[in-house]
Amino acid sequence: MPKCIIDSKEYEFKAGETVIQIADRNGVDIPRFCYHPALTVVAQCRMCAVEVDKMGKLQTACSLPATDGMVVHTKSEKVKQAQASVMEFLLINHPLDCPVCDEAGECQLQDYSFSYGAPDSRYDEMRRTYMDLDMGSVIKKNMNRCIHCTRCIRFCDEVGGYREMVALKRGNSTEIVTVDGAPLQTQYAGNLADICPTGSLTLKDFRFKKRAWFLKKTPSVCEGCSQGCNIEVHQENNVVYRTHPRENMDINKWWICDEGRFLFHYVHSEERVLNPSVRDGTSALEKMDWYDAVEKVSPKIKGKALVLVGSDLTQEEIQAIQQFAASKLQTTAVYHYGTENILKAADDTEEDKILRRTSKTSNLHGAEKLGLKPWKSADHNSGEFDCALVFRGGRAMVLNQLRKCVKGAIVGVGVFNSGAVDSYDAVLPGLSFVEKSGTIVNWQGKEQRLNQSIAPLGESKSITDILQLLR
Amino acid sequence: MAEKIVSKYFYNKEAAALSFYQKDGGYSAAKKALGMAVDDVIAEVKKSNLRGRGGAGFPTGMKWSFIPKDSKAPKYLVCNCDESEPGTFKDRAIITYSPHMLIEGMLIGAHAIGAHVGYIYIRGEYVREAEFLEHAIDEAYKAGILGKNAMGSGFKFDLYVHRGAGAYICGEETGLLNSLEGKRGEPRVKPPFPAIKGAFGGPTIVNNVETLAAIPWIINNGGEAYAKMGKFPNSGGTRLYCVSGHVNKPGLYEFPCGAVTLRELIYEHCGGIRDNRKLKAVIPGGSSAPVLAAHEIDIPLDVEPMAKAGTMLGSCGVIVIDDSWCAVKIIKRVTHFYAHESCGQCTPCREGTRWMEDVLHRIEDGHGKMSDLDLLLNVADNINGKTLCALGDAAAGPVLSFVKKFRHEFEAHIKGGKCLNA
Repeated sequence: MPKCIIDSKEYEFKAGETVIQIADRNGVDIPRFCYHPALTVVAQCRMCAVEVDKMGKLQTACSLPATDGMVVHTKSEKVKQAQASVMEFLLINHPLDCPVCDEAGECQLQDYSFSYGAPDSRYDEMRRTYMDLDMGSVIKKNMNRCIHCTRCIRFCDEVGGYREMVALKRGNSTEIVTVDGAPLQTQYAGNLADICPTGSLTLKDFRFKKRAWFLKKTPSVCEGCSQGCNIEVHQENNVVYRTHPRENMDINKWWICDEGRFLFHYVHSEERVLNPSVRDGTSALEKMDWYDAVEKVSPKIKGKALVLVGSDLTQEEIQAIQQFAASKLQTTAVYHYGTENILKAADDTEEDKILRRTSKTSNLHGAEKLGLKPWKSADHNSGEFDCALVFRGGRAMVLNQLRKCVKGAIVGVGVFNSGAVDSYDAVLPGLSFVEKSGTIVNWQGKEQRLNQSIAPLGESKSITDILQLLR
Repeated sequence: MAEKIVSKYFYNKEAAALSFYQKDGGYSAAKKALGMAVDDVIAEVKKSNLRGRGGAGFPTGMKWSFIPKDSKAPKYLVCNCDESEPGTFKDRAIITYSPHMLIEGMLIGAHAIGAHVGYIYIRGEYVREAEFLEHAIDEAYKAGILGKNAMGSGFKFDLYVHRGAGAYICGEETGLLNSLEGKRGEPRVKPPFPAIKGAFGGPTIVNNVETLAAIPWIINNGGEAYAKMGKFPNSGGTRLYCVSGHVNKPGLYEFPCGAVTLRELIYEHCGGIRDNRKLKAVIPGGSSAPVLAAHEIDIPLDVEPMAKAGTMLGSCGVIVIDDSWCAVKIIKRVTHFYAHESCGQCTPCREGTRWMEDVLHRIEDGHGKMSDLDLLLNVADNINGKTLCALGDAAAGPVLSFVKKFRHEFEAHIKGGKCLNA
């Protein structure tokens, strides 16, 4: 295997690898703005310049293929001087509005300015300014902060599926815009805010909600579809502010779709039922404490029971329900449900060529693995069941047409919105994906772990606890 | 004066016609080359020590030999006729008076590298010249010189004229290729070099007009004869010098490489400075070449001696400046050009060229500070050699040299708020 030397340490590499790839793999820090492992190398920002023995000019590490015996210096005086000059160039037209910029605290430009830049500026001329057009519902643009790394242009071209961002004009007046100023069409627009190294592109959904440094981060998995994209849940004071993609080269690489990115909002929805609620006869659902609710619900679960399990639940939860159904209810009528018309794993196909899949629940493949059969209401006679327990995690569709085949009580267990449970006789609030830990299985059969990032909201309890109460 | 090669037909209005060119022995070189083995053609060009006439001065034969022989992708020969370097106007004359010399050179070059398609990328401002070229190409097609069976040799060669939209950066070969492909005229990251991956992903050779126009002579007379014309070992043949500015006889002059010094060119061949004024400075290789002061011009006009003197021969656009002109004004204008033409891709050039322009503007207006001069030098230094393509160097070199060599004029502007020449 060929070897090269970076900062007097020897590293092996595969032919064709660039210096920055070798450095990244081995934890050698080379600053960069335009380079992103997922995108074409353009060597524009010049920040990753390194000194190479026997080469006169500084070389950009992102575009420099390593050769056997190459000696690279990433921290020499010449390199430091070049890095400082690039920082100065980038900052002369960058507004120093960090105090009011939402990117502050997680801004690459800010971080590098501290590490590689000078404390003051020699720039006395007028700063360049732009007018911005709206970029759609996801992304807020502030072109004045842009450093022209063109990551966003390349992302749209190469990942996002639409060639919808372009550079306009040239030289110092270069402006990064959407084509004809139209709003973004890509379903992956949120990633633009992640890859933007400055506060030029920020999430409309998140901006000004929370300073980045307050956020506590928990690695977890998206429950938006059966892809199982790896995410980080960012919360503070038990409030989730956003979810962020986490690199996993086997599944989602560096990205998540907008649907997955913003779905967490249901967790804090005002509509969400957070208290045990039971209906008496024809009256409305009435909030009560767990003791009263269990007193009222338990007697209603009798006779031939139907158990419906959302395929958005974890393996552990499904197993607990299966056990409960077998031992307490003595029923074999346990079915899974999740997305309309996606009844079994074989129905789950890709929705686009990027990440999204047609099963909008995360654990369809796991539920099938545990032997659950899909729920098809058409297969069942009217009045076939005496009662029904409907388990739902927050992502599965809400079943409203059960009255036909269920004579007695319909009890919802899990995450429900108050508007959607008119046909239910009781709702026992369960946990959403950020409030629990557990295992889910994605379409490739990969088992991944959800991690609890916030404490249960309101009176909600885990499904195992609720089942314990109902025993 | 020595033999003229590319300027042989200059200012002869009939020379552009195919009939005239053929009567004078035109296309005999192509006939000969098409019958030669590919390697022999390249060897002949290598022997000639022909160097690229566009500015970088890279040996042409060597460039041709970089084309991978086993490439599955189609190969292309592109003629760079963007001629965007201020002070350069030689290609225009070649196209106007000897378009067939270029077409013949391209046919030979295409045969040598195995390209069946050629493009002449011509700058947008050359409207009439593009028409001349189109006309000459039509003539060549009709005469069977171009097309499926070029000159009856069985070699297929199609030639197209592609007009640019008027950007300096499209004279940079990879920027040119992007523009040719219909993309933004922005230089590409190198490697891969165009010889490996150029136009439309295929191996591509980009040559200057003058380079290609010299090829027929080399094939006819042999590489050695061409090499012998040059005074220095590495440069063969003749070059066209485009002299403009404050001389009595500006124009195009063809001399063997290195045979004439800059002083001889200005005072003997161009009739000296206009109105008997004194020489102040010379920009010897197009506006991107660092400036030479009046006492520095005893340099033979060739690539290496120029480099040794800290400037470059570039495209041989010799701009002569007399003492009636202000150095600050000139460099401000030059810097404005580069700031305007920067493509905006890479940081130092995008931000730095405008910064230098703003500072120079201030100095010229009398609002400068003494510290601005060191700032200028430092900013230029931070651009020089640190950009994606050569435009950064082209913008920084003149500033560095002007500030160093005419510092007193800058200081006069700063101190007195006015120009020494005012």
